[in-house]
Amino acid sequence: MSTVTEAEPSFDRQATGSRLDWQRMLPWGLLALLMAAMLGLQSQLYIGQERTVTAIFMFVALAQAWNVIGGFTGYACFGQVVFFGIGGYATAVTMVHWHLSFWLALPLSGVGAALFGAVIGLPLLRLKGHYFAIATLGVAEGMREVVTNVPALTGGGAGITVPTVGEDATTAYLGNDGFYLLFLGIAALSLVVALVISRNRFGFALRAIHQDEDAAGAMGINTTRAKVLAFSISGMLTGLVGACYAFQQVVIFPDRLFDVELTVLMVVMVVIGGSGTVLGPLLGAVGLQYLSEYLRHSYTEAHTFILGAIIIVAVVFLPQGFVNYVREARRSGDYSLLANVRRYRL
Amino acid sequence: MSAFLQATVYGLLQGGLLALVAVGFSLVWGVMNVVNLAHGSFVIMGAYLGWELQVHAGIDPLLGMFAAAAVMFVLGYAIQRWLINLVVNAPIFITLLLTFGLSLLIVQGMNIIFSANYRSISTGYASTSLSMGSVRVPLGRLIAFGIAVLVTVALVALVNRTRIGLAILATGMDRGAARLMGIPARHVYSLTFGLSAALAAIAGTMVGTVDTFSPAAAGSFTLLSFVIAVLGGLGNMYGALLGGLLIGLVESWAGLYLSGTWVNAMAFLVLVVVLVVRPSGLVGRAYYAARVEV
Repeated sequence: MSTVTEAEPSFDRQATGSRLDWQRMLPWGLLALLMAAMLGLQSQLYIGQERTVTAIFMFVALAQAWNVIGGFTGYACFGQVVFFGIGGYATAVTMVHWHLSFWLALPLSGVGAALFGAVIGLPLLRLKGHYFAIATLGVAEGMREVVTNVPALTGGGAGITVPTVGEDATTAYLGNDGFYLLFLGIAALSLVVALVISRNRFGFALRAIHQDEDAAGAMGINTTRAKVLAFSISGMLTGLVGACYAFQQVVIFPDRLFDVELTVLMVVMVVIGGSGTVLGPLLGAVGLQYLSEYLRHSYTEAHTFILGAIIIVAVVFLPQGFVNYVREARRSGDYSLLANVRRYRL
Repeated sequence: MSAFLQATVYGLLQGGLLALVAVGFSLVWGVMNVVNLAHGSFVIMGAYLGWELQVHAGIDPLLGMFAAAAVMFVLGYAIQRWLINLVVNAPIFITLLLTFGLSLLIVQGMNIIFSANYRSISTGYASTSLSMGSVRVPLGRLIAFGIAVLVTVALVALVNRTRIGLAILATGMDRGAARLMGIPARHVYSLTFGLSAALAAIAGTMVGTVDTFSPAAAGSFTLLSFVIAVLGGLGNMYGALLGGLLIGLVESWAGLYLSGTWVNAMAFLVLVVVLVVRPSGLVGRAYYAARVEV
């Protein structure tokens, strides 16, 4: 759905160079401004609010990570949570058994998740559409059982405790303020990665694969390499978030770290926000996580019920996502939601 | 040896039930390329309908399942006609999300109405069992198995021999051409989805008689339907039956020889291997596996 504007000839670019530079720098400026605002915001928040915002940061990072494989590349990964779980367990296990510091375990977990992505990506990325979705889902479910069934290493279903207090502590617990900064950093990293990918050659290769994989291959793109790399990057980002989450939770369980619902949340956030854009998943994650938190407080009993209804309505009226809808509407001048519904109906 | 034989019989019976759960899912996927994530919640809804009929009206589940099927057919028809048809041409994320939202809605709705407690439809005969030599065969599961096979055969007959069935097949193969031949695609899609919901209701009633159920089980039924549909292959109604029997056997044998919860991983292991080695499934047609979007 993302249309690529035609590249301007080089002599033209020189003439309008200053405008292009300005356009190119704008998202980076906004990102820096946003980070500064978030840093300033921290001192204004109560503890409860700080936790809520920290959770939002986490979902911003997760949504952006899924966007790399699901949005840009168009492969509906429904087992993304496997990277989250692997990152979390890699951190917990290396901190417990190898007595590593968290600051060493964190990058290791990212690398581990990236490698895992490459290894399963090679066979699985040959599949397309629903089949890829289901195969990745199968990997995530299977991995949860594997983790549950090697209690000597992972503590099994009873969970594993990250050593962060007492004598065995390898890294002191960060506290609310520390985790706010940690998750802000991870969210910023994921946004930077997505911004870079959205503007370089690799990103255009991914979009080409999304639109027509055979044509992309015919144009000289090594589709296998591009897809596996995208999957690895996406896995690495998700793994890093999982590692931070494990450290924050202290005690982790397979059922929580490999929870399908996390995957679905990532997908919902990206699709509702606008997949294949950088802004969309950001807006989707902030909006949906805030809404879900609000519903949980106000309508404890029925909050998933309402969430389900919101997903249905959003998907029917904005199937291309909020950001893509606004872009298309601005181009065509047609803001009608009904025209939007008409497009995909039978 | 007798333990193995017992596990085999049990696995086959369980497999028949799982096949019944998956057959409607497989039909919808094959015909309209929609993976219905709400299928498991339809199954549980069928189970509650059967339970309600038995508890409040005293209707035996073997009769009640037809009533449950009728109700679910109407509901399924309406859902497809006025909801899923709206996005049926959108990229696959959209239909996946839509049906997921639907499943959240239904599961939480059932939680509110029926509570999250485990229930089962109790009948006099379901718990009795026949013994053949050293092997015991629970009567309730035998009945469920028989119904699964009958329903699958009936579905094949419906699809291959009746005008409506042929219309469903034709629309599944090439919607554009089918519409040019005068087939009302919207109506046919809705019929297919209603049929699938009705099959889910029959399966749910049977699940309720031989096992306990609660709204939380919806997700695992959807996942199992996935696995079975892929394993059997799309485009062949017997695929779900074969896939179900195989999964039943694999899980039963794994339960015999493996410790802990490795059993739960077996189905997914089988799934991933099948997808990588033979994406079209055991008896499916390659056309359906190669198709990405309609």
